[in-house]
Amino acid sequence: MVEKKSTPPASNDVLNPKTAAEKLTKNKAKDEQDELSEEDQQLVSELEMIVERLKESSVDIHRAALENLNNVIRSTTGSMTSVPKPLKYLKAHYETLSELYDQWMDEANKRALASILSLLGMAYDREGKRDCLKYRLLAGIDDESISEWGHEYVRHLAMEVGEEYALKLEEDSDNTEYLVETALKVVSFCMKHNAEADAVDLLEELDRHELIADYVTKETFERVCLYMISCAPLLAPPSDMGFLETARKIYRKFGKPSQSLPLSIRLGRQELIKEDWDSCSSRLEKAQLAFIMARQQIHMPELIEDYEDEQLVACMNNTKLSKNYLNLARDLELLDPKSPEDIYKSHLENTTVEVTLDSARHNLASTFVNAFVNAGYGTDKLMTTSTEGKDWIFKNKDKGMLSAAASLGMIMLWDVDMGLTQIDKYMYSDDDTVKAGAILAIGMLTSSVYDDADAAKALLTEYIADENSQAIIKLAAISGIGIAYAGTNREDIIETLMPIISDTDVTIDLSSIAALSAGLVCIGSGNSDVSSVILQAMMERLDSELNHKYARFMALGLGLLYLGTQDKYDAILETLKAITHPIGKQSSILMQVCAYAGTGNVLEIQKLLHICAEHLGEKEDQLPQAFAVLGVGLISMGESIGSEMSLRTFDHLMQYGEPYVRRTVPLAMAIVCASNPLVGVLDTLNKFSHDNDKAVATSAIFSMGVVGAGTNNARLAQLLRQLATYYHKDPDMLFTVRIAQGLLHMGKGTMTVNPYHHDRTLLSHTALAGLLIPIVAMINAEKLIMTDSHFLLYYLVRAMYPRFLITLDENLESVSANVRVGQAVDAVGQVGRPKTITGFQSHDTPVLLAHSERAEIGTEKYIPLTTVLEGFVILTKNPEYEEEDESK
Amino acid sequence: MVKVQVKWQGKKFDVDVDLTQPGEVFKMQLYSLTNVAPERQRILVKGGQLKDNTVMSTLGLKENSVLMMMGTVGELPKAPVEQTKFVEDMTDNEVAQALAIPAGLTNLGNTCYMNATLQCLKAVPELKQALDAYEGAAPETSAADNSKRSLVLSLRSLFTQLNESGEGVPPMVFLHVLRQLFPKFAEQDRQSGGFRQQDAEECWNELLTTLDLALQPSDGAAPSVVERYMSGQMQTTWSTAEAPSEPPTVHHERFRKLDCHIDKSVNYLSQGVAKGLEQKIEKHSESLGRNAEYTAVSRVARLPEYLTVAYNRFFWKASESVEAKIVKSVKFPLDLDVSEFCTPELQRKMRPVKQHVRDLEDRRAAERKAAAKRPRIDGSNDDAQASTSASSEQQTEEAAAPFVLDPELKADVGCNPSGLYELVGLVTHIGRTANSGHYIGWVRKEKGVGGKEPEGKGVPETRHWWYKFDDDDVSMVTDEEILRLCGGGDWHTAYVTLYRAKKLD
Repeated sequence: MVEKKSTPPASNDVLNPKTAAEKLTKNKAKDEQDELSEEDQQLVSELEMIVERLKESSVDIHRAALENLNNVIRSTTGSMTSVPKPLKYLKAHYETLSELYDQWMDEANKRALASILSLLGMAYDREGKRDCLKYRLLAGIDDESISEWGHEYVRHLAMEVGEEYALKLEEDSDNTEYLVETALKVVSFCMKHNAEADAVDLLEELDRHELIADYVTKETFERVCLYMISCAPLLAPPSDMGFLETARKIYRKFGKPSQSLPLSIRLGRQELIKEDWDSCSSRLEKAQLAFIMARQQIHMPELIEDYEDEQLVACMNNTKLSKNYLNLARDLELLDPKSPEDIYKSHLENTTVEVTLDSARHNLASTFVNAFVNAGYGTDKLMTTSTEGKDWIFKNKDKGMLSAAASLGMIMLWDVDMGLTQIDKYMYSDDDTVKAGAILAIGMLTSSVYDDADAAKALLTEYIADENSQAIIKLAAISGIGIAYAGTNREDIIETLMPIISDTDVTIDLSSIAALSAGLVCIGSGNSDVSSVILQAMMERLDSELNHKYARFMALGLGLLYLGTQDKYDAILETLKAITHPIGKQSSILMQVCAYAGTGNVLEIQKLLHICAEHLGEKEDQLPQAFAVLGVGLISMGESIGSEMSLRTFDHLMQYGEPYVRRTVPLAMAIVCASNPLVGVLDTLNKFSHDNDKAVATSAIFSMGVVGAGTNNARLAQLLRQLATYYHKDPDMLFTVRIAQGLLHMGKGTMTVNPYHHDRTLLSHTALAGLLIPIVAMINAEKLIMTDSHFLLYYLVRAMYPRFLITLDENLESVSANVRVGQAVDAVGQVGRPKTITGFQSHDTPVLLAHSERAEIGTEKYIPLTTVLEGFVILTKNPEYEEEDESK
Repeated sequence: MVKVQVKWQGKKFDVDVDLTQPGEVFKMQLYSLTNVAPERQRILVKGGQLKDNTVMSTLGLKENSVLMMMGTVGELPKAPVEQTKFVEDMTDNEVAQALAIPAGLTNLGNTCYMNATLQCLKAVPELKQALDAYEGAAPETSAADNSKRSLVLSLRSLFTQLNESGEGVPPMVFLHVLRQLFPKFAEQDRQSGGFRQQDAEECWNELLTTLDLALQPSDGAAPSVVERYMSGQMQTTWSTAEAPSEPPTVHHERFRKLDCHIDKSVNYLSQGVAKGLEQKIEKHSESLGRNAEYTAVSRVARLPEYLTVAYNRFFWKASESVEAKIVKSVKFPLDLDVSEFCTPELQRKMRPVKQHVRDLEDRRAAERKAAAKRPRIDGSNDDAQASTSASSEQQTEEAAAPFVLDPELKADVGCNPSGLYELVGLVTHIGRTANSGHYIGWVRKEKGVGGKEPEGKGVPETRHWWYKFDDDDVSMVTDEEILRLCGGGDWHTAYVTLYRAKKLD
C-alpha cells in the first residue's frame, strides 16, 4: 500500500525517468551511429551551443543561456513513451554542467542551474547519489519551484526523500528536519493534485503522518482518512494506531463525530469516546453516537448523567432494540412463531419412518432450535404460546431442563419487561435445574440492553453470594451475570465474581465459569486485578482439578481479558510459564490468540502455524494446538486478504494435521466466515461433515450452522437436510445437525453472529467472545455440548444481533426512506468519487443487510447522520430538497 | 409522598410512595394494582431488590423514578405428575415394548431363511393357539416322533419368547432341533466351514409338513390346524384330446400352497398360478393302449383361510450347478381373488359371499372418504373413530340380512368362503441363487393392534403398515414399499406370499 500508486494525470509531465534511463543505455550505441534527422541535429547543436555559453565566464550570458535551456526543455515535449529529446541529448553534458555548478559563484544562476540539474539528476542518477534531491535542496524549495518539472518529478523527489530519511535513520543522524521540510512541500503539492495517497505514504515513510492533518481540505479529507484507515491494518505497530489517531484528528477537525467515534472505539480509549461525545453539536448527533456505541456494546452511562433526556438515555441503553426488531419483523411478516418441525422440514428428509417416543436428545435439539429461531420475537410454539407449553421443560431431561428454561431468555431477548414476567414463573420452581435455567435466562434476557433497575444484578447476585444455593444454581447465576454484563467493566460485578475464582474450596467448574464471566465483564481491558486472581487460582488448584473439562474456560477468561490488546500481556506470559500443568500452555496460547484477534498480524499467524505443525506424542496435551488453529482464524478474520489466505492454510492443516488440529479447523473456518455463507466454504465444510473422524464431522456440521447463522441460506438448508438423512441413525450427529439448522434460521433469518459491524470495520469484543465460547466448547463437543454443558451454546446470545438498517427521523421514530443496497466495493485510493456499491437494488427501510453488503441513501430528501448505513441511522431533512410537484 | 412509576408486564403504573413506610406497604399498594401477591413480588431498584423492611426513603427515589416489578399472578407451573420417559433411559426391550414393535430373530449365521419363515408363520394366530394347546404325545414314542415333538415345543417357546421380548431373540434351541430333524439345513460350506444359506420355501414346506403331523390330535379324529387352516383341496381332472370318449379321471388331493410359475409371458401373480394349474403330461392311456398327451386341469375345491403362494423363482442351472433365480417382475396384489381357480361348484357357493364382502368394502371406503373430508379435531379423534365403527356396525347388520352363507361352507371351519384374500405376509429374497443372498420376512400390522402407528407431518399415506423383519432389525414400512417387492431387479423379491381370507364382518 505504501508503494506508489499508478499515475494520476498531471498536465506538465516531462518524462518518465526509468524508461528514459533504460532507453538511453540501450540505444546509446545505436544512437551514435544513427543518422540524426535534420531537426534533431538542430536541437543537438542548439543544446551544445547553450552548454558552450554556460562554459563562458560571463554571469549575464549564463542567465540568458539558462533561460534558453529552460525553454528548450519545456517546449520540446515528446510523447510519453519516447524520451524528451533535450534530456536525451543533455546526457553528454550532465557531468559538465554539474562541474560548472561547483565553479560558479552567482547565487541566482547557481539556483537556476541546480533546478535544471535536479531534473536531469532524476534521469542520470549516479548510483544512488540522490542528485535529484541534492540539487533540489541546493536550488531551494518553495511551492513554485517544486512543481516546475511536473508530477513525475515530484514523485521521484518524494522517493529520494524517503530513501535519504531511511539512510539517516540508519546512521542515527538527527538531522532530518530539512527532509521533513522538503517532504511537506511535496505533500502540499500532492494534496493539491489529487495524489493524497502519495502524500500519506511519504509522511508515513518519515514517521510524520500526523502532519497530514495540516494539509487536508474539505475536499480531500474524506479520501485521506479512508486511505489511512484502510492502511492501518497493514502497518506495524505503533504506526497502525497512529494512522487511526491522525484520521480521527482529521475527522474531528471537520466536525464529523459519527466518523471519529468508530476510530476512537478502535483505539479503545474511553477518553476519546468522551471527547467525540462532547464535540457533538446536536442532540441528534449524540443519539447517533449512542446507537453506534450500543451496537458495539459499549455502555457509558456517565456520558448522559447530566441529561434529563429520556430519549437519549434510551438510545444509550438500547432499550428500543426489541421494539424496533419487532417492527422489522412485522414489516417482513415474520411474527408468526416457528416450530422446530418447520425448520427441520423432515418430510423432505428421505428417512424411513420411525415411531417417535420422547427422546431427550431430540427434544433438547428442539429446545435449542426453537430458542434460536424465535430469538427476540417473544413468542414461540413450545415455551410461551403452546397450550402444553408449561410441560415442554419437563419433556427435557436433567440439564436439558436448564437449557429449556433458559431458552425463554433467548426467546424474550432484549425485552426485559415482558421477559421477566415470562421467566418469573420458573424462579419459584421446586426443581433446582429449572430454577437455574430461569436464572440463566435472566442473564441472557438483559444482554445488550441496559436498564436503570439493573435487573440482572438485582436478581442474580443473591444466588452467587448465597452459601447455601445449589451448585447448579450458582453456576447458572455466574454464567448469567457474565452474559448480562459482558464488556461493562463494572467493578461491583467483578467484586461478586472474584471470591468465587480465588476460593479453592469452591469446585473448579464454578471457579472456571466465574473466571470466564470475569473475563467477559472486563473484556479487552487487561484488568490486572482480575488476571492476577485467575493466575493465582491456576497456581493453587490441584492438577486433578485443572484436568476438569471446564478448566479451559478459566484459561479463556484470562484470554478474553486481553482481547485485542496486542502485546500487553508479557508479564502474564512469564507467570504462566511457571505453571507446570498443561493449562499454563493452554492459557498462554489462548492469550496470544485473543490479544491479536482481528489484527491480521502475519507474524503471529506464522508462530501459530508452527505450533500446529508439531507432531505431538500421545500423552501431550492437544488443546494448545487446537487453540492455535482457532487463533489462525481469529487473527486473520480482520481483513479480507488475510482471511482468504487463512482459508487456504486450513486446507493444508486438514490434510496433514493431527486429529485435534483437524477437528478444530472447521471451527476456525466458522470464526472467519461467521454468518457469511461463501459457497466455497460451504462446500469444504460439507466435505468435512462426512469425515470418518466423528469429531471432525461434528465440528464441521456445527460450523456450517455458524457460517450460515441467521441467513436462511437455501443451499445450506438443503445440505443440512441431506446430513439429517445421512446421520438419522446417529443421535449425536443428528443433534448437531439440528443445532446447525437452528443456527441457520436464527431469528428467522434476520440475525448475524459476525462480530464485525459498521461496514466490517469495528470488531465487537463481546460479540467475538459470544462466538468464541461455544466454539471453544465445541473442540471437545463429546465432553461438553453433547453431554451436560449444552447451555454453553447460549453464550452465542452475545454475538447475535439483527442485521437490519432502520432509519429514524428527528424524533427518533422510525421512518421509511429509500435506500440502495448492494455489494460493497473497495473504493480506497481510487480517484474521483467512485461507486461504493455494485449490483444494487432499491428498497425502503427497514431492510436487511447481508454480509459484505452496503447501503446508501437513495433519496435527496434526507441526509443521514452517519456515513455507514447500518443498524439505526438518524436522518435529517435535507433543507435544499424540494418535493417533486405531483401535478406536473 | 413521591410519585414513581412501576413497570410490570410492559405496563406502567403510577404509584404514590409514602417515603416513611417500609417496603412491605409499598408491595401492598402494588398488590392492589396488579394482583400479584406481595411474597411473589420482586421490586428491582438500581441493581437490588426491595426488602420488606427497607424504609422507602432510603432508596433515594425521585419524582417519576422508574421501578421494575417482577411477578406473576396465579398458579405456578408444576412438574407433571407423570414423569416423561425418554428413549435414552429405556433398554432396547422397553423401547420396543413402548413402540410395540415385535421382536426380531437374531441371525445365527445364515439363518435368515428360517427367521423370515418363522416371522411369517407367526402371523397365523391359529397356529400359535394350536402350539399353546399342544400337549404332545407320550415321550416314549419313536425317536422320530420325539424330535417332532421337541420341534413343536421349541417353536412354542420361541413364539412365546418373541411376544415377551423387545430385542432380538436368538432361536438357538429351535435351530438345533430343526437341524437335527432336517440334516440338510445343517449343510456346511466347505470353504468357510460355516452353515450355508438355505432355501426359505423348503424350510416353509418342511416346517408345515412336520407341524401338520405333530399337531394332529392323537385320536386322529379331527384334522390338524395346518390341515384345517392352511391346506385346501385340489381337484385335478385328467383328459386327453386324443381319446375324447375316454371319461376324464378326477383326483382329489390336499395342497398347502399354490405355485406361481414364471416364464416370459407371466407378469401377474394370477397368470403364474393359472399356468401352474394346467399341465400337459404324456401318459399311458388305457383306452388307446398307448401313450397319449393328457391335460391335467386343477381346480380348487376348498380354499383354506391362509393361502400360501410360492413363486417358482429358482431353477436348476446345470451348467453352473446352482439354483439360479428368475428375477422377472411378477406383480402381486394386496387383495387377491382366486375364485377363477376354483371348481364351478365352489364358485357358485362363494358368489353371494363374495358379493357381500365387496359391498362391505365399498361401504368402508366411502366412510373413510367421508372421514377424511371431515376436519380432524385433535383429542376428539377417539370419539370419532368410535362413532364410525359404531355406524359401520349398524350398516353391517342391515346389509347382512339378505346374505346367507352356504351351510357346507359354514360347517367347514378354517375355509375361505369368499375366495377373496388379503396379503398378510411375505418372505422375500435378494441375491442370485436360493442358497445365497438374504431373506427378509414382512408381516402386516393390524390396525389398532400393537403399538402406535406413525403419524404426523411427513408420514406417507398408507392403508396398512408392515413390519419388516430383517433378522433382529425390525422397522415399519408402507404398502408402497411392499408392492415394490415384485422383483424385476436386484432388490428384495417376493418368494413366498401368505394370503389370509377376508373377514366377513
